[in-house]
Amino acid sequence: MISIRHLSKTFHNPDGSTLTVLKDVNCDIEKGEVISIIGPSGTGKSTLLRAINMLEPPTAGEIWFNGENIMAHGYPLNKMRQKMGMVFQSFNLFEHKTVLENITYAPMELLKMSERVAKDEAMELLRKVGMAQKADVYPSSLSGGQKQRVAIARSLAMHPDVILFDEPTSALDPTMVGEVLSVIRQLAKSGLTMLIVTHEMRFARDVSTRIFFMNDGIIYEDGTPEQIFEHPVHSATKAFVNRIQKLKYDIDSDNFDFLQIHTEINRFCIKYNITGKEELAYSLLKEMLFTHMRSLRPLTFRLTHTELSGVTALDFMVEGLNESPLKDAARESVRRQVKELIEEPTTRGFRIKLII
Amino acid sequence: MKLDKIITTFLALGFLTACSSGADDYREPQSEADLKGLTLACSNGSYYQQKYETREGIQLFLTSNEADAVQAVRQGHADVYVSDEVMLTKSDLKRLRMKKAFVGEEAFDVAFAIKKGNTEFAAQLNDFLASTPLDDIINYWINEGPYVEEPTFTIQEGAEPIRCVCAVNIAPISYIGDGGEWQGLDADILRRFAHSLGRPFEMQFMDIGSSIMAINTGKADVFSGCLFVTEERQKSVDFSTPYYKCHPGYFIVDHSAEARMGLGERIHMNLIKENRFNLIWDGLVETIKITFFAILIGTILGCGVCACRRSRRRWVRTLANLYGDFINGIPTLVLLLILFYVVFANSGMSASLVAIVTFALCFASSAGNIFDTSISSVPKGQTEAGLSLGFTPFKTFMGIVFPQALRKGLPLYTGECVSLLKSTSIVGYIAIADLTRASDLIRSRTFDALIPLLVVTILYFILAWLIRKTLSLALLKNRTANDA
Repeated sequence: MISIRHLSKTFHNPDGSTLTVLKDVNCDIEKGEVISIIGPSGTGKSTLLRAINMLEPPTAGEIWFNGENIMAHGYPLNKMRQKMGMVFQSFNLFEHKTVLENITYAPMELLKMSERVAKDEAMELLRKVGMAQKADVYPSSLSGGQKQRVAIARSLAMHPDVILFDEPTSALDPTMVGEVLSVIRQLAKSGLTMLIVTHEMRFARDVSTRIFFMNDGIIYEDGTPEQIFEHPVHSATKAFVNRIQKLKYDIDSDNFDFLQIHTEINRFCIKYNITGKEELAYSLLKEMLFTHMRSLRPLTFRLTHTELSGVTALDFMVEGLNESPLKDAARESVRRQVKELIEEPTTRGFRIKLII
Repeated sequence: MKLDKIITTFLALGFLTACSSGADDYREPQSEADLKGLTLACSNGSYYQQKYETREGIQLFLTSNEADAVQAVRQGHADVYVSDEVMLTKSDLKRLRMKKAFVGEEAFDVAFAIKKGNTEFAAQLNDFLASTPLDDIINYWINEGPYVEEPTFTIQEGAEPIRCVCAVNIAPISYIGDGGEWQGLDADILRRFAHSLGRPFEMQFMDIGSSIMAINTGKADVFSGCLFVTEERQKSVDFSTPYYKCHPGYFIVDHSAEARMGLGERIHMNLIKENRFNLIWDGLVETIKITFFAILIGTILGCGVCACRRSRRRWVRTLANLYGDFINGIPTLVLLLILFYVVFANSGMSASLVAIVTFALCFASSAGNIFDTSISSVPKGQTEAGLSLGFTPFKTFMGIVFPQALRKGLPLYTGECVSLLKSTSIVGYIAIADLTRASDLIRSRTFDALIPLLVVTILYFILAWLIRKTLSLALLKNRTANDA
């Protein structure tokens, strides 16, 4: 359905310098595929997506869509875009139109749909994304997650062959990510062709039929979720998919701000969707800091989370210590609450790791 | 009367109606020698300005026209109004509670001024003056003698009018009388002159400086207004043969005269008498005409300015910015004068047209700016969303960006329109009889500031309100979330 050959994009800055974001992108996308594009930031994921529907005209290369070269001079881009929906990071709902009008506007104007048919279809779509209740309100009164669901409905209303999702959850409050992802998940099941630029690794693994790992302006590795996440060929891919999210805190004396730590743990857990472990992490931290390791200052503690495997750990490091500070009773108490307790001396000091 | 004062002061018109009183040891001047220590009011550019400018012990109060000089004395800003002895008719003097203190000994030839070197026209004018019963006409206007019938001439159709300017709008020299017609000694002579050539007669009132400029740039043929032939003036203009000999007159407030008029009488005098409301009506039409067309043309040009400001080409953007800086850097009045006296001096364009062009140019700059910032204030994502749905760039702009830009830009645009309406009040400088000028003309006839100014204030206010109302209707069709 979409074939991309030697696509490149170079930005020319006003100061005369240039920045090559896409170097040489090649790929083929078949009907019905759900492709997630992952990779470190600044590697051209969004640029690739915006190049495919020509919002960001590429510098060189070819893009074939339904058998036609859309980069040919004079190609009717507007016709092509009617078949290629796009969902933006910043939603971009039309602020001067109601939710319903946002959805019916393009089908009525471009597909010459009658108002009644357009409205009926729009209401059907709104029910599908759970926004039927808000049909008559203006976008400014919606939350981010609601806006994004309406935006998805808006692009579906044009009956596109493919929808491009440009980081659809990146601008959302962590609590609203779930509602949007579940709508996209539902669409993936329906057989719609989709390209999704995302940072949500588990989501990408669950919904995609294929994954593009982009790095350094090219598609570095391309494969099924299993290939990319379980058996990546390149070390860069491996490092990226197994990257660990960390929350680090140095405790120098007893006068540390425990409330702030609490808030940060809370934020961390929401962000990585592990709110179920928040309570345990918090109570273990309290127990360790105030009971078992009370006299040990300074110490460094880390809360880590490996997104893909879902492993969360609390990690305490006391410098200059070479034997475990835990007494037998304490060890027993902690072990009962965690999946695994690791105590090990390192070159820098002594480390206690609790996997929860 | 107290209410009057409050309103007048409140409007800050600068024409406080308080009369000076209580000067116990005041002695009325009887000769030029008595003027020492007094303040003299005279019109700027007049002979008396030159005469008394350097005279020790005498203060000058310069005004832009004769009527204001009279007002200055009545309001106590000056003690003596000095002008030609023929200024102010007997009935005016009585009504204004003024009197002639004395007449100076000098005598001056009074003549018409024409463009330097225009000998053919000078000959025509001099021939006419020689063949006309001037003394009888003067007798009628100055001494209220019998009327002199004008011989009948046929005015050729389509003939160019004789265009006159006068620096004096005061009876009995030249003034707008019954039905808005120019009357008075100078106007009468020049009208007869025009008719004798088979041409229509036209007259406009300007200050002395503008009048000289007008005849030298060919905007007018003759400049009148009880002009003394002086050597100084002969350097810049030519004079016709003198038609009158005149002495300076010194006028003061007559404290013995009876009290002032009531409000009803004043309204009658300012608006009803001699159909003066016609002047206001014509002025209103002129103001609306200039404002409307300037907004219309300015908006169209403004779209062009906006397009240039948003151009991809850098030099086009630079050009648009230069235009904006240029217009911003010049006072509108100065631009108006430049266009009228320099750029379009010989183009034959009417003053109203020049005014419309001036205001349209100014309006285009600010409207272009408003359009540009309004469009820029719509996030880029809106355009991208429109394009990504398959709308053409044009449809995206018209259906998505423009309605949102309108919402943001309309209040600014409305403000700009109202501000344009108000700034049209300067067109009097190029002798267009707009609303403000109408009040000036009435004021200079009736010597009453309050009523004419109050009337035009109310009219301007209504016009501004109408503009706001009309433009806000455009918003009703374009409601957004902010209203919902």
